[in-house]
Formats: sequence, structure tokens, C-alpha cells
Amino acid sequence: MHYKSITRERWDETIKDLLSSHDVFASLRNEFGQDYEFISSEDIPDIIYNEPKPVTSLKNFFLPVKENVTSDRETERPRIIIGAPNCDIEALSLLDEIYLDKDFDDHFYRNRRENTILIGSDCKGIQEHCHCLSYGIRPFPTKIADLAIFLLDGNVILRILSDQGEDFINRIPDATDINEENLLQSIDTEHSITESLLENANKGLPDYIRTGEIVRNAGTEIWKKYSATCVSCGACATICPTCTCFLLIDKPGFEKVKQLDACQYPGFERVAGGEDALFSLSSRFRNRYMCKYVWKPEKFQPVACTGCGRCIEACIGKINKNDLFMELA
Amino acid sequence: MPEEKNIYKPLKAKLIEVIDESPLIKTFVLIPEEEFSFKTGQFIELSVDGIGEAPFTPSSSPLITDRLEVTVMKTGYVTEYMHNLKPGVYMGIRGPYGRGYPVKKFFGKEVLILGGGCGLAPIRSLLYALENIKENLQKVILCYGSKTPEDCIYKPLFNRLNQIEKFEAYRTVDKGDDEWDGPVGVAPTLLNNVKVDTGNSVAVVCGPPVMMKYGTMKILEMGYKDEQIYLSMEKNMSCGLGKCGHCMMGKYFVCKDGPVFTYDEIKDQPNIWD
Repeated sequence: MHYKSITRERWDETIKDLLSSHDVFASLRNEFGQDYEFISSEDIPDIIYNEPKPVTSLKNFFLPVKENVTSDRETERPRIIIGAPNCDIEALSLLDEIYLDKDFDDHFYRNRRENTILIGSDCKGIQEHCHCLSYGIRPFPTKIADLAIFLLDGNVILRILSDQGEDFINRIPDATDINEENLLQSIDTEHSITESLLENANKGLPDYIRTGEIVRNAGTEIWKKYSATCVSCGACATICPTCTCFLLIDKPGFEKVKQLDACQYPGFERVAGGEDALFSLSSRFRNRYMCKYVWKPEKFQPVACTGCGRCIEACIGKINKNDLFMELA
Repeated sequence: MPEEKNIYKPLKAKLIEVIDESPLIKTFVLIPEEEFSFKTGQFIELSVDGIGEAPFTPSSSPLITDRLEVTVMKTGYVTEYMHNLKPGVYMGIRGPYGRGYPVKKFFGKEVLILGGGCGLAPIRSLLYALENIKENLQKVILCYGSKTPEDCIYKPLFNRLNQIEKFEAYRTVDKGDDEWDGPVGVAPTLLNNVKVDTGNSVAVVCGPPVMMKYGTMKILEMGYKDEQIYLSMEKNMSCGLGKCGHCMMGKYFVCKDGPVFTYDEIKDQPNIWD
């Protein structure tokens, strides 16, 4: 793995310079914690690095909640997103498989992916519901993103993950190669510390494959029990980095508006004749877990739950999926 | 760089004729603005401008590319609007989508087709395709049921089929009327009297979910193997692109992996008859 280093001051100046040519988004602190925000020159000192995780996931940058998908697309400025945690970045591999499918390539998604320089962030420390490692995802990006950022002793260390990332960093004259063994060792140590925290916090939580077995074999009672406080608000799906189901809404002039949807909403699978395989609340509740841990892994390569824990945090019914899995494990 | 194709944008098609098939079913004859070809059993998303779209398998011949027929039962919000459309308006077409009937696999075989209600629409398209390759088939048997004689669609089709070499067509109704002197009973009851060589045959089932279920059970009883039975599945196919998630049936997107599946492929998936 190839690393480069730059002083924090010089890095901030680099971002400031990029604002004239790029839309830059980064994780900033706000009243809800931290979230991706559009960056102006005044925001640069406040960018949060290495802390998990923005309140919302990365998916909305590539799949907006609502967009007209029949009108001609305006050319968007090149975009830089700074500070995405690996749970969000790994989720993109599933989205890529769905939206860059060879038969039906979604050019809106493709253009946004290609138009974005993605700078991930290594997590130092964890939040209460973080459990990426349980599903085989490490708390620092190793692929998909262009670069990964790590703050160390006042310097910004950038791990190069793609050709686009390499081009980007090569244009920063003051960025220097890092080869010092002890520095690289420090980074590895920090990674290990975070992984230990994840392991300790998630003892007893089954891994992704075992979770699939549990979900597949679970009887109806457990779904009824855990869905008792579900109000079908769809927050779990809305905030999930891998849930991207959508509705197509017709507008005059044969226009179509694509809008984020959720299988937790009543009527999601209802057909015109009235049959609805997901009529009951508990069947919809179960459907989301079957989709994430059984059906998507049968169909697609990447995992469909990256262990970000946002669905637990967003649930107004205080449903904790990990409690459900541990009860059955 | 290849030209960007918008996978969500419909092709406009002029409605030139509306044919009343039964009190609840009409056939819409459309002239697409560009040549439009499909494989029999594939479906399209047909839209009413500004109102909505719904999935239908064309009922016309897949050999015709300048004209498309779609048979629609009035059963919900969008189809009610469709039934009020008059010739001259434009509709939207997206597609064709999914996997249709693998007619080449039918070569050298008997084809037993069980249909019910508006399920005859995709079957009619299949029959046109099979008629075109009848030299390669042993025989084609259609068993079709409608609720009442009045509800039967494409009534002239049955006489026509019975005049084609190797083709046999049978009708039944759930409930007869004063003029009906044919069989009375649900569609699968017609299967009691057909002669098929199950070892060299395939079965095709298309109709309302309850008929699909009991029809498939009956065909299995006749000795067909799971992989010899082709089912045209109905789910809430919305995008048609294998993305929106509404038609997921277990690991399958019915819109992209289907809508035609063998029973063997889907028998272990959840809610296949719902």
C-alpha cells in the first residue's frame, strides 16, 4: 500500500484551492452529530477526520432521494467527498453491481461515480452500534475509494487506493512519499486498536454468513416480537447505505421521477389485482433482513449490510437488529 | 465514449385502436415511434402520460415489430385510466424486459399450455411464435378457462387454432350461461382429458395466482418434472431493470431474471403464489 504525507496546513490550503473547480463535501459537526456538508472556505478547519461516522450514508450522493430521470441531466461540477467511513465505501460495491449492471447501466449513477473523487477516512475509535468487522469489513478503506485519510501527529497521511487517487495526490506538490517503517507501523497499530474495540463491542454477534442462516431459519414469532414497535416509517431503509429500492413516479410529458422507497412501507409489493405478499407488518420487517442477509448475498458478490449500525440508531421503535440476531445465535 | 442511453425514458407509441375483449378487458393496438421488437413472454412497462405505468406482456406476435398489441384488464388505478383512452393518444413504452419463453427449448416437444383469464394475453403471443415454428414441434395444446363465457378473451382464436395442424384448443368456464354448452369447471379440469407424452413435453402456465398454483400442482400430478413447467410470474414489476426492488421474489428480480421461470427455479422461493 502506497502512502503520501502532507502537513495539515498545506492540506487545508489544497482543499481551499479545489473549491474553485470542484464541489467539495466533507464531514462536519452539526446539531445531530456529524454529517456530510457542502464545504465553503470557512468550513475547512472544522472537517472531522477519522471519527465514525456521518449521520447519513454516502448513497445519496450517487442516488439522490428524488430526481427526474427523464430530463436531460445538467453537467455537474466535479466533486470531492472527504471523510467517508469504510462502511459507506464498501456499500458502494453493491450499488455498483446493481446500477452499473451490464444490461441496464444507470448513467445518472455512473456519471456521479465517475465525477467524484472519494477520499475515505480510517476510523479511530468506534461508536456504540458500529459492527463492520463482524461482517468482514475493516474500519479503514482498502478499495473502491480513491484515497483514505489518516491524521497522525499533525500530518495528513493519504493512502492511495486508485489511479484517480494517485493522479489527485500527484498534483499536490508538497505531498511526499512515506516509507518510514515506524510511521507505517503506527498506522497499523491504530487500525488494530480500532479493530480490537469492534471485536470487544460485538462479542457474540454472529458473522454475516451465520446471520444469513439465522435469518433464513427464524420462525415467525421472532419477527412478530421484534416488529411489535415498528411503525413502518422506513427510517432503517432510508438511512441504510445499501438500501436503494425506489419508486418511479409518472409526470406529464412522459417524465419519470425516481424516488427512494422502502420495503417497510405498506403496499411495497402489492400488485394491481390486490395480492400483497408483504401485507403484514411482520412480513415486511422480515423481508428487509431476508433481503440483506439471505437474498442479496445469493445474488450479488458484496455484502448487503456493512455493519454501520445506523438502522439501530434511526429506529424510533428502538428495534436493535443485533439483539435479534444474538437472541437466535 | 458510447452514447449515453437513458434506461428510464419511455418510447412514445400512438394508440390506433382499442378492442373490447370482455367487460373488463381491452386490447390496445399501438404504433411505436421506433421499431420495437420483443421476445415472446418478455414484458413492457406501458404508461399513461402523467398517470402511471404498469407491466404487461404484449399479446401480439413477436414477429411484428412496427405494431404492438397489449391486452389490459381493468384492475387498478393505471388500468382504469387506460380503459378510458381513445385512439389517437400517445402512450409510453419501456422495455422489452426480462426473460421470455425459451421457445428453442420446445423444439421436438409437445407444448401444453394452461391459461386463465387475462393470462391468455401472453399466451396468444406465444401461440403466434409457436405457430411460426410448428414444423419443429410435436403438438400444441391450449387449455383455457374464464370465469364466464362472456369473460373469455380472443374468442375467435379458439376456432382458428383448431384449424392449424398440430394445434388443439379447449375452453372451459367457471360458470356457464344459457348459451354455453361447453365444459364447466376451473381451467385445470381441462387437463383431465388431454393426451400428452409427459416425457417429451413442456407445460406453460399463465393466469391468476390461484390458477397458477393449482394448475401447477395438477401438471405435476400428470407426471411433468419441475424443470418442464414454465410459469409466467406476476409481481409488482416497477422499473423492469432489476433495481427498484418491488418485484423481488427471494433472490430473483422477477422483472430481470423472469418473468418466465421454470417451476424448478422458483419452487423454493417465498410467496411465489401471492
